[in-house]
Amino acid sequence: MENNIQIQTEVEDKDLQRKEFVRFDLHQRIEHIVLLAAFTILAVTGLPQKFPTSPISQSIIRGFSGIETARSIHHIFAVILLVVSIYHVIDVLYRIVVLRVDWSMIPVVEDFKHFFHDLGYYFGVHKHKAYYPRYNYVEKVEYLAVVWGTIIMAITGFIMWNPIAVTKYLPGQIIPASKTAHGGEAILAVLSIIIWHFYHVHLRQFNKSMFIGKISRIEMEEEHPAELAQIESMYVSLPEEKVIRQRQKIFFPIAIFITLIFGLGLIWFVTLEDTAITTIPKGETANIYVPITPTPKPSATPTTTQAPGEQVAEESWDGKYQAMFDNRCGTCHGFTSVGGLSLATYRSALQGGKSGPAIVPGDPDASVLVQIQSTGKHPGQLTIDELNQVIQWILAGAPEN
Amino acid sequence: MLVRRFAIYTLSGIFILSIFFILAYSPSVIAAPNLQKETPIPLLSISDDTCLECHGKPGPTYQLQNGDTLDLYINPNDHANSVHGKLGYACVQCHRDVGNYPHPPFIAKDRRDVSIQLNQTCQYCHSSQNELTKDSVHARALENGNSNAAICVDCHTAHTVKRLIDPQTQELLPEARLWIPQTCAKCHNEIYQKYQESVHGSALIGNGNPDVPTCIDCHGVHNIEDPTTAQFRLNSPQICAKCHTDPEIMDKYGISTQVLNTYVADFHGTSILLFEPKTPDAQENKPVCYDCHGVHDIKAVDDPEKGLQVKENILIRCQVCHPDANTNFPSAWLSHYIPSPTVYPVVYYINLFYKFFIPTVVGGMAVLVTLDFTTARRKKRKASKSTGLETAEVKPPTEESTVEETIVEEITVEEPTLEVTPTEETALDESNNYNERIKDISESQELSQDTDLESDYGNEEVPDGE
Repeated sequence: MENNIQIQTEVEDKDLQRKEFVRFDLHQRIEHIVLLAAFTILAVTGLPQKFPTSPISQSIIRGFSGIETARSIHHIFAVILLVVSIYHVIDVLYRIVVLRVDWSMIPVVEDFKHFFHDLGYYFGVHKHKAYYPRYNYVEKVEYLAVVWGTIIMAITGFIMWNPIAVTKYLPGQIIPASKTAHGGEAILAVLSIIIWHFYHVHLRQFNKSMFIGKISRIEMEEEHPAELAQIESMYVSLPEEKVIRQRQKIFFPIAIFITLIFGLGLIWFVTLEDTAITTIPKGETANIYVPITPTPKPSATPTTTQAPGEQVAEESWDGKYQAMFDNRCGTCHGFTSVGGLSLATYRSALQGGKSGPAIVPGDPDASVLVQIQSTGKHPGQLTIDELNQVIQWILAGAPEN
Repeated sequence: MLVRRFAIYTLSGIFILSIFFILAYSPSVIAAPNLQKETPIPLLSISDDTCLECHGKPGPTYQLQNGDTLDLYINPNDHANSVHGKLGYACVQCHRDVGNYPHPPFIAKDRRDVSIQLNQTCQYCHSSQNELTKDSVHARALENGNSNAAICVDCHTAHTVKRLIDPQTQELLPEARLWIPQTCAKCHNEIYQKYQESVHGSALIGNGNPDVPTCIDCHGVHNIEDPTTAQFRLNSPQICAKCHTDPEIMDKYGISTQVLNTYVADFHGTSILLFEPKTPDAQENKPVCYDCHGVHDIKAVDDPEKGLQVKENILIRCQVCHPDANTNFPSAWLSHYIPSPTVYPVVYYINLFYKFFIPTVVGGMAVLVTLDFTTARRKKRKASKSTGLETAEVKPPTEESTVEETIVEEITVEEPTLEVTPTEETALDESNNYNERIKDISESQELSQDTDLESDYGNEEVPDGE
């Protein structure tokens, strides 16, 4: 190729070779840049959701600090993509209505001929590639795929964004169906870009015209000879300034109206419904701590055995003091009879232990129990109140029942 | 004679003592390990009979700080029939500081305080369980001042501790499974009431079904996790999946084991299971299993009241999070089905379409790109050769060379035998190509604007020099 150019430049007029052609105007370049950014970010935030089990997906999502943030970014760039799509529609309308350019992106029979010609070239039937016009079948396929893909993605995206509103009119199955299509279309789009677009405009030769807007004559000869011929034979011409002004006067109000409609549609798209609550659904609603009332233990204080019909005075051995001594003193002065004293029965209490009778009816001072308890230092110490009761009971003659 | 007898007694005494020490210090293999090193050798001289002399009959009590009376009576049969009693553990092995008499002073605010204080003794034999318990929601609650939080004895009881684990298999005894919900119900009775009505609880309580989960299968045993945290919520599908992806259990009941896969494939499951665990504290409101199926009141899917197979029931569940959902909405969820021509056919066929459409389009593009690439390489090489080597052997590439052949050719291009020397004509033809093209087009357009350009190119073509 370099050889060709070398030889060619010797032959051809050098000024002609330096000549450049505007291929993409500022609008188109802006559209492309925004589309590029939106597409990339949508793919990066979207594909991990399509392949959630992959560790790559998970680290990407981690990079976005979680799925919720990634989804928000996906939504924001979906809106940006829609905005640039609307911008593109207006731009295309301007070209068609005001500039009256050729509908150079519409596929025609010639494109098929070019395709088969190129096939012939690949297999050596033809010496050169087809002479492409402004847009060849490669570019048309890609452009139309982007248009078609964006429409599919917008529709399925809308359905997933507004599932409640959609299922008011359509069966619920449309939601998972949209999800499937959205994911399938995404894979198709990304693979197409990598294989088709990257090859044709980056790998084959780095085509900068989408960024700088211009294309050299050499590139024109190479890529779009038919268009070059058209231009150089003065076959292509823009309408006069005056005509453009007139058409603009009609076009701009219409454009504003269309923009308004699309803009409102976009707002409707985004704000149609509140799909779900934002709070976390409550798990278990039952009260956590609801104890079963425990069955009461048998009373710690044993009830004294008494003959049926027998009246027991409260202030008596049977009525009170056997239980009190059992509880408070029984640990030592029960079975074990520490110091020979057992307070288990009335008899043994009167009998006492080594130090003498524990209880002397009517005489608390003589009662060893009172003597020892009064020191306040006995291991099984009665409270003052209890001791006073005992003293009162002894004064009263220490009745057994 | 006397010396000999003394020697025999000494030796046998040492023998018995050494066996005792070996037993005491040998590593444990059973659930309740031997006493730890720092544990003082219990005063085994104090037999249970000594304790039961006082505590074995109703009567002894103790006054607590809050005025309550603590009953000090122990039914001797309770301990004797407990796992500890059967294994011969003595009272003083748990009540370690009361071996002497009079008992050392003991101060407790109330009955609960007594339990909490005496509960400390369990750790001396069951240290591993005790360690696990330290991480539990109950231990945290206790630390934070909730004295109602369960301690060892609340579940295991103090004196009537039952054997729960089969010592041979180290597995839960079948009867113990039935006791578990009742044990938890002691404090969580409202939840128990729900559980016993559920598909799991009714099978366990009604039929003693060993396949259904009891409380501990989901919540764990000693290190019971706080089930109200975000982390528990996010991990909860794995709890359900333990059994519900196990065909050995599920096949018995004809339940699908694809429930986790299909959940994960869905928007909700994807969010919960695959992304959020990376940020475990994340608050994520996508539903987990129990948000739809219920927590403790899980019903069979065909239950007329709550079963999710009934459209009305699932709609109620949807509306918890999607308040505006209408009757069409529930079928947006594939109900754990994998789409097929009969179930969710639209989803199935769209998926099928892309399965064929993507490879077709992408494959077609790849073929064209490869053709273009290899052809360009071939031409370029030919062009560079035409200006260089002229003496090399002529071997032009065949017209019908396929992509594969071209690639092979490129790889082996360094070998001189395969080198190509195009004729001068070819080189000239290539160099003049562009000018000719432009001239051709301009001329043809001047002649007739309607003429199809493509047909002209075809006619103008120079016969192939190769």
